[in-house]
Amino acid sequence: MKSVIEILTEIRPEFDFAASGDFIADGMLDSFDMVTLVSALDKNWGISIQGTDIVPENFQNLQTIEALLRKSGAKP
Amino acid sequence: MTPIQTSGEVFDAVQRAKAGATAFCTNFFPVESKLRGWIDHGEMFVELRDRAAFFFRKDRDFLRFYFCAADGAALQREIAAWPGLKTERVVTDLVGNESAVNNLRSALEPAGFRQHAQLQRLMRTGRPESGADGLPVGFAEKADGPAVLGLIESLFDRYGEQLPMLYEIEAAIENRQILAVRNDSELAGLLFFETQGLASTVRFWAVAEKFRALKVGSAVMRQYLKIHDAVRRFTLWVNVGNENAIRKYRHFGYAPDGLIDHVLASGLGST
Repeated sequence: MKSVIEILTEIRPEFDFAASGDFIADGMLDSFDMVTLVSALDKNWGISIQGTDIVPENFQNLQTIEALLRKSGAKP
Repeated sequence: MTPIQTSGEVFDAVQRAKAGATAFCTNFFPVESKLRGWIDHGEMFVELRDRAAFFFRKDRDFLRFYFCAADGAALQREIAAWPGLKTERVVTDLVGNESAVNNLRSALEPAGFRQHAQLQRLMRTGRPESGADGLPVGFAEKADGPAVLGLIESLFDRYGEQLPMLYEIEAAIENRQILAVRNDSELAGLLFFETQGLASTVRFWAVAEKFRALKVGSAVMRQYLKIHDAVRRFTLWVNVGNENAIRKYRHFGYAPDGLIDHVLASGLGST
Protein backbone atom coordinates (compact mmCIF):
# COMPACT_ATOMS: atom_id res chain seq x y z
CA MET A 1 0.00 0.00 0.00
CA LYS A 2 1.29 3.44 -0.88
CA SER A 3 1.62 6.25 1.63
CA VAL A 4 -0.28 9.53 1.24
CA ILE A 5 2.90 11.36 0.35
CA GLU A 6 3.74 8.80 -2.34
CA ILE A 7 0.32 9.29 -3.91
CA LEU A 8 0.63 13.06 -3.77
CA THR A 9 4.04 12.88 -5.40
CA GLU A 10 2.69 10.66 -8.18
CA ILE A 11 -0.02 13.23 -8.91
CA ARG A 12 2.23 16.30 -8.69
CA PRO A 13 5.86 15.16 -8.94
CA GLU A 14 7.14 18.71 -9.28
CA PHE A 15 6.38 19.55 -5.64
CA ASP A 16 7.95 18.60 -2.31
CA PHE A 17 4.87 17.90 -0.20
CA ALA A 18 6.91 17.12 2.90
CA ALA A 19 8.11 20.72 2.93
CA SER A 20 4.68 22.36 2.92
CA GLY A 21 2.14 22.90 5.69
CA ASP A 22 -0.57 24.20 3.37
CA PHE A 23 -0.83 22.55 -0.04
CA ILE A 24 -3.67 24.81 -1.12
CA ALA A 25 -2.07 28.15 -0.20
CA ASP A 26 1.21 27.01 -1.72
CA GLY A 27 -0.54 26.27 -5.02
CA MET A 28 0.41 22.59 -4.93
CA LEU A 29 -3.12 21.20 -5.21
CA ASP A 30 -6.02 22.73 -7.11
CA SER A 31 -9.64 21.59 -7.19
CA PHE A 32 -8.96 19.24 -10.11
CA ASP A 33 -6.02 17.64 -8.29
CA MET A 34 -8.28 17.06 -5.30
CA VAL A 35 -10.67 15.01 -7.43
CA THR A 36 -7.73 12.96 -8.80
CA LEU A 37 -6.35 12.53 -5.30
CA VAL A 38 -9.71 11.31 -3.93
CA SER A 39 -9.89 8.67 -6.62
CA ALA A 40 -6.34 7.49 -5.82
CA LEU A 41 -7.00 7.44 -2.07
CA ASP A 42 -10.25 5.49 -2.57
CA LYS A 43 -8.43 2.89 -4.65
CA ASN A 44 -5.41 2.62 -2.37
CA TRP A 45 -7.42 2.21 0.85
CA GLY A 46 -10.52 0.50 -0.58
CA ILE A 47 -12.80 3.24 0.71
CA SER A 48 -15.24 5.75 -0.75
CA ILE A 49 -14.64 9.34 0.32
CA GLN A 50 -17.94 11.21 0.37
CA GLY A 51 -18.44 14.01 -2.15
CA THR A 52 -19.41 16.27 0.74
CA ASP A 53 -15.89 15.84 2.14
CA ILE A 54 -14.16 17.05 -1.02
CA VAL A 55 -13.46 20.52 0.31
CA PRO A 56 -10.09 22.34 0.44
CA GLU A 57 -9.90 22.18 4.27
CA ASN A 58 -9.54 18.39 4.08
CA PHE A 59 -6.58 18.60 1.69
CA GLN A 60 -4.50 21.32 3.34
CA ASN A 61 -1.69 19.08 4.57
CA LEU A 62 -0.75 15.49 5.39
CA GLN A 63 -2.51 15.62 8.77
CA THR A 64 -5.86 16.76 7.36
CA ILE A 65 -5.70 14.15 4.58
CA GLU A 66 -4.94 11.41 7.13
CA ALA A 67 -7.84 12.62 9.28
CA LEU A 68 -10.10 12.41 6.22
CA LEU A 69 -8.91 8.85 5.56
CA ARG A 70 -9.73 7.83 9.15
CA LYS A 71 -13.14 9.47 8.90
CA SER A 72 -13.78 7.59 5.65
CA GLY A 73 -13.00 4.24 7.25
CA ALA A 74 -9.43 3.63 6.09
CA LYS A 75 -7.59 1.12 8.28
CA PRO A 76 -3.98 2.03 9.10
CA MET B 1 -33.34 33.93 -9.21
CA THR B 2 -32.44 35.62 -5.95
CA PRO B 3 -29.50 38.04 -5.82
CA ILE B 4 -26.75 36.88 -3.46
CA GLN B 5 -25.61 39.45 -0.89
CA THR B 6 -22.96 37.52 1.04
CA SER B 7 -20.64 34.58 0.46
CA GLY B 8 -22.28 32.94 3.51
CA GLU B 9 -25.47 32.57 1.46
CA VAL B 10 -23.48 30.66 -1.15
CA PHE B 11 -21.99 28.27 1.37
CA ASP B 12 -25.38 27.75 3.07
CA ALA B 13 -26.94 26.85 -0.28
CA VAL B 14 -24.10 24.42 -1.06
CA GLN B 15 -24.51 22.75 2.34
CA ARG B 16 -28.24 22.46 1.76
CA ALA B 17 -27.65 20.61 -1.51
CA LYS B 18 -25.04 18.39 0.16
CA ALA B 19 -27.34 17.38 3.02
CA GLY B 20 -28.23 13.73 2.53
CA ALA B 21 -26.47 13.61 -0.83
CA THR B 22 -25.50 10.14 -2.03
CA ALA B 23 -23.69 11.11 -5.23
CA PHE B 24 -23.06 14.82 -4.80
CA CYS B 25 -22.08 16.50 -8.05
CA THR B 26 -20.88 20.01 -8.70
CA ASN B 27 -18.96 22.22 -11.06
CA PHE B 28 -18.71 25.01 -8.49
CA PHE B 29 -15.28 25.48 -6.88
CA PRO B 30 -15.36 29.18 -6.00
CA VAL B 31 -12.23 31.04 -5.02
CA GLU B 32 -13.29 33.21 -2.10
CA SER B 33 -11.72 36.46 -3.36
CA LYS B 34 -13.29 36.13 -6.83
CA LEU B 35 -16.64 35.16 -5.39
CA ARG B 36 -16.61 38.24 -3.17
CA GLY B 37 -15.92 40.45 -6.19
CA TRP B 38 -18.81 38.93 -8.15
CA ILE B 39 -21.18 39.38 -5.21
CA ASP B 40 -20.03 42.97 -4.58
CA HIS B 41 -20.77 43.78 -8.22
CA GLY B 42 -24.27 42.29 -8.08
CA GLU B 43 -23.43 39.52 -10.53
CA MET B 44 -24.34 36.45 -8.43
CA PHE B 45 -27.77 34.86 -8.14
CA VAL B 46 -29.03 31.67 -6.54
CA GLU B 47 -31.92 29.38 -7.31
CA LEU B 48 -32.70 26.91 -4.54
CA ARG B 49 -34.23 23.74 -5.93
CA ASP B 50 -35.24 20.34 -4.58
CA ARG B 51 -31.92 18.65 -3.58
CA ALA B 52 -29.97 21.11 -5.68
CA ALA B 53 -28.66 24.66 -5.62
CA PHE B 54 -28.04 26.56 -8.83
CA PHE B 55 -25.78 29.59 -8.99
CA PHE B 56 -25.74 32.05 -11.84
CA ARG B 57 -23.19 34.71 -12.58
CA LYS B 58 -24.27 37.49 -14.91
CA ASP B 59 -21.54 37.82 -17.54
CA ARG B 60 -22.11 40.34 -20.32
CA ASP B 61 -25.16 39.09 -22.29
CA PHE B 62 -25.51 35.64 -20.73
CA LEU B 63 -25.51 33.68 -17.47
CA ARG B 64 -22.71 31.43 -16.33
CA PHE B 65 -24.25 28.42 -14.58
CA TYR B 66 -22.79 26.54 -11.62
CA PHE B 67 -24.57 23.71 -9.88
CA CYS B 68 -24.48 21.66 -6.70
CA ALA B 69 -26.81 18.67 -6.67
CA ALA B 70 -27.41 15.66 -4.44
CA ASP B 71 -27.02 13.42 -7.48
CA GLY B 72 -27.24 13.42 -11.27
CA ALA B 73 -30.96 12.70 -11.25
CA ALA B 74 -31.68 15.79 -9.11
CA LEU B 75 -29.52 17.89 -11.43
CA GLN B 76 -31.28 16.60 -14.54
CA ARG B 77 -34.79 17.02 -13.12
CA GLU B 78 -34.27 20.47 -11.59
CA ILE B 79 -32.39 22.12 -14.46
CA ALA B 80 -35.02 20.91 -16.92
CA ALA B 81 -37.71 22.43 -14.67
CA TRP B 82 -35.99 25.79 -14.23
CA PRO B 83 -38.04 28.30 -16.25
CA GLY B 84 -35.10 30.62 -16.94
CA LEU B 85 -33.65 28.11 -19.34
CA LYS B 86 -36.34 29.03 -21.85
CA THR B 87 -35.48 32.73 -21.86
CA GLU B 88 -31.79 33.10 -20.97
CA ARG B 89 -28.50 32.34 -22.65
CA VAL B 90 -26.77 29.97 -20.24
CA VAL B 91 -23.22 28.61 -20.36
CA THR B 92 -21.63 26.04 -18.08
CA ASP B 93 -18.29 24.25 -17.74
CA LEU B 94 -17.72 20.57 -17.03
CA VAL B 95 -14.13 19.73 -16.18
CA GLY B 96 -12.68 16.29 -15.56
CA ASN B 97 -12.08 12.91 -17.08
CA GLU B 98 -14.37 11.57 -19.79
CA SER B 99 -16.53 9.30 -17.63
CA ALA B 100 -17.25 11.92 -14.96
CA VAL B 101 -18.00 14.56 -17.58
CA ASN B 102 -20.20 12.23 -19.63
CA ASN B 103 -22.42 11.54 -16.61
CA LEU B 104 -22.96 15.26 -16.09
CA ARG B 105 -23.46 15.90 -19.81
CA SER B 106 -26.20 13.30 -19.90
CA ALA B 107 -27.93 15.18 -17.07
CA LEU B 108 -27.72 18.54 -18.87
CA GLU B 109 -28.34 17.63 -22.50
CA PRO B 110 -32.02 16.70 -22.05
CA ALA B 111 -32.55 20.28 -20.83
CA GLY B 112 -31.13 21.64 -24.09
CA PHE B 113 -27.44 22.15 -23.35
CA ARG B 114 -25.14 21.50 -26.28
CA GLN B 115 -21.36 21.55 -26.59
CA HIS B 116 -20.14 25.05 -27.45
CA ALA B 117 -16.36 24.65 -27.06
CA GLN B 118 -13.76 22.35 -25.66
CA LEU B 119 -10.69 23.56 -23.82
CA GLN B 120 -7.65 21.56 -22.80
CA ARG B 121 -5.26 22.27 -20.00
CA LEU B 122 -1.58 22.60 -20.82
CA MET B 123 1.10 22.34 -18.19
CA ARG B 124 4.74 23.24 -17.95
CA THR B 125 6.86 22.04 -15.04
CA GLY B 126 10.35 22.79 -13.85
CA ARG B 127 12.31 25.94 -13.63
CA PRO B 128 11.78 28.69 -16.17
CA GLU B 129 14.46 29.10 -18.78
CA SER B 130 16.21 32.40 -19.08
CA GLY B 131 15.66 33.53 -22.63
CA ALA B 132 17.12 36.47 -24.46
CA ASP B 133 15.32 39.71 -23.76
CA GLY B 134 13.40 41.12 -26.69
CA LEU B 135 11.08 44.08 -26.77
CA PRO B 136 10.66 46.07 -23.57
CA VAL B 137 7.95 44.53 -21.39
CA GLY B 138 6.40 46.19 -18.34
CA PHE B 139 3.41 45.80 -16.10
CA ALA B 140 0.16 47.26 -17.41
CA GLU B 141 -0.85 50.52 -15.81
CA LYS B 142 -4.18 51.75 -14.54
CA ALA B 143 -4.91 53.69 -17.73
CA ASP B 144 -4.41 50.49 -19.78
CA GLY B 145 -7.56 48.87 -18.36
CA PRO B 146 -9.96 49.62 -21.25
CA ALA B 147 -7.33 48.72 -23.88
CA VAL B 148 -6.60 45.42 -22.10
CA LEU B 149 -10.32 44.63 -21.99
CA GLY B 150 -10.75 45.61 -25.64
CA LEU B 151 -7.88 43.40 -26.78
CA ILE B 152 -9.11 40.40 -24.79
CA GLU B 153 -12.71 40.82 -25.96
CA SER B 154 -11.61 41.13 -29.58
CA LEU B 155 -9.59 37.91 -29.57
CA PHE B 156 -11.37 35.49 -27.22
CA ASP B 157 -14.78 33.81 -27.16
CA ARG B 158 -16.81 35.35 -24.33
CA TYR B 159 -18.88 32.20 -23.85
CA GLY B 160 -16.02 29.74 -23.89
CA GLU B 161 -13.21 31.50 -22.08
CA GLN B 162 -14.48 33.34 -18.97
CA LEU B 163 -13.39 36.83 -19.94
CA PRO B 164 -12.72 39.28 -17.11
CA MET B 165 -14.83 42.37 -16.47
CA LEU B 166 -13.16 45.79 -16.41
CA TYR B 167 -13.09 45.87 -12.60
CA GLU B 168 -11.29 42.52 -12.56
CA ILE B 169 -8.73 43.83 -15.04
CA GLU B 170 -8.21 46.95 -12.93
CA ALA B 171 -7.65 44.79 -9.84
CA ALA B 172 -5.21 42.60 -11.77
CA ILE B 173 -3.31 45.67 -12.94
CA GLU B 174 -3.09 46.89 -9.36
CA ASN B 175 -1.80 43.46 -8.28
CA ARG B 176 0.76 43.44 -11.13
CA GLN B 177 -0.76 40.44 -12.86
CA ILE B 178 -0.74 41.85 -16.38
CA LEU B 179 2.41 42.27 -18.44
CA ALA B 180 2.20 44.54 -21.45
CA VAL B 181 4.19 45.51 -24.51
CA ARG B 182 3.52 48.93 -26.01
CA ASN B 183 4.26 50.25 -29.45
CA ASP B 184 4.47 54.01 -29.02
CA SER B 185 1.55 54.43 -26.67
CA GLU B 186 -0.56 51.66 -28.15
CA LEU B 187 -1.06 48.31 -26.43
CA ALA B 188 0.60 45.73 -28.71
CA GLY B 189 0.35 42.63 -26.53
CA LEU B 190 -0.28 41.35 -23.04
CA LEU B 191 -0.05 38.38 -20.75
CA PHE B 192 -2.56 38.17 -17.88
CA PHE B 193 -1.60 35.66 -15.20
CA GLU B 194 -2.64 34.44 -11.75
CA THR B 195 0.00 33.09 -9.39
CA GLN B 196 -0.51 31.31 -6.11
CA GLY B 197 2.44 29.94 -4.21
CA LEU B 198 4.40 27.60 -6.45
CA ALA B 199 1.80 27.54 -9.25
CA SER B 200 0.97 30.06 -11.92
CA THR B 201 -1.74 30.13 -14.59
CA VAL B 202 -1.74 32.15 -17.79
CA ARG B 203 -5.26 33.46 -18.23
CA PHE B 204 -4.73 35.38 -21.46
CA TRP B 205 -1.82 35.78 -23.83
CA ALA B 206 -2.71 38.12 -26.65
CA VAL B 207 -1.09 40.17 -29.38
CA ALA B 208 -3.02 42.80 -31.34
CA GLU B 209 -3.51 41.89 -35.00
CA LYS B 210 -1.40 44.72 -36.38
CA PHE B 211 1.60 43.87 -34.18
CA ARG B 212 1.84 40.20 -35.07
CA ALA B 213 5.19 38.89 -36.40
CA LEU B 214 7.08 41.44 -34.31
CA LYS B 215 7.89 38.91 -31.56
CA VAL B 216 5.64 40.73 -29.12
CA GLY B 217 4.17 37.45 -27.86
CA SER B 218 7.58 35.89 -27.30
CA ALA B 219 8.82 38.93 -25.43
CA VAL B 220 5.92 38.99 -23.02
CA MET B 221 6.01 35.22 -22.44
CA ARG B 222 9.75 35.24 -21.77
CA GLN B 223 9.30 38.04 -19.27
CA TYR B 224 6.47 36.14 -17.58
CA LEU B 225 8.64 33.05 -17.16
CA LYS B 226 11.59 35.13 -16.04
CA ILE B 227 9.73 36.82 -13.18
CA HIS B 228 8.34 33.48 -11.97
CA ASP B 229 11.61 31.78 -11.14
CA ALA B 230 10.17 30.34 -7.90
CA VAL B 231 7.19 28.75 -9.62
CA ARG B 232 7.30 25.01 -10.28
CA ARG B 233 4.04 24.47 -12.13
CA PHE B 234 2.69 26.57 -14.98
CA THR B 235 -0.76 25.89 -16.40
CA LEU B 236 -3.22 27.40 -18.85
CA TRP B 237 -6.40 26.51 -20.72
CA VAL B 238 -6.60 26.71 -24.50
CA ASN B 239 -9.31 25.96 -27.04
CA VAL B 240 -8.54 22.54 -28.56
CA GLY B 241 -9.12 23.98 -32.03
CA ASN B 242 -6.65 26.84 -31.62
CA GLU B 243 -3.70 25.06 -33.21
CA ASN B 244 -1.73 28.26 -33.69
CA ALA B 245 -1.80 29.06 -29.97
CA ILE B 246 -1.10 25.45 -28.98
CA ARG B 247 1.98 25.39 -31.22
CA LYS B 248 3.28 28.55 -29.57
CA TYR B 249 2.65 27.24 -26.08
CA ARG B 250 4.47 24.02 -26.95
CA HIS B 251 7.42 26.12 -28.04
CA PHE B 252 7.61 27.43 -24.48
CA GLY B 253 7.46 23.95 -22.96
CA TYR B 254 3.74 23.53 -22.31
CA ALA B 255 2.08 20.17 -23.03
CA PRO B 256 -1.43 18.74 -22.48
CA ASP B 257 -1.94 17.20 -19.02
CA GLY B 258 -5.13 15.34 -19.95
CA LEU B 259 -7.67 17.63 -18.32
CA ILE B 260 -10.52 18.76 -20.58
CA ASP B 261 -13.14 21.48 -20.03
CA HIS B 262 -16.37 20.91 -21.97
CA VAL B 263 -18.20 24.22 -22.35
CA LEU B 264 -21.92 23.60 -22.78
CA ALA B 265 -24.43 26.25 -23.74
CA SER B 266 -28.16 26.69 -23.98
CA GLY B 267 -30.04 29.43 -25.83
CA LEU B 268 -27.13 30.83 -27.82
CA GLY B 269 -28.88 30.21 -31.12
CA SER B 270 -26.84 31.66 -33.94
CA THR B 271 -24.77 34.05 -31.81
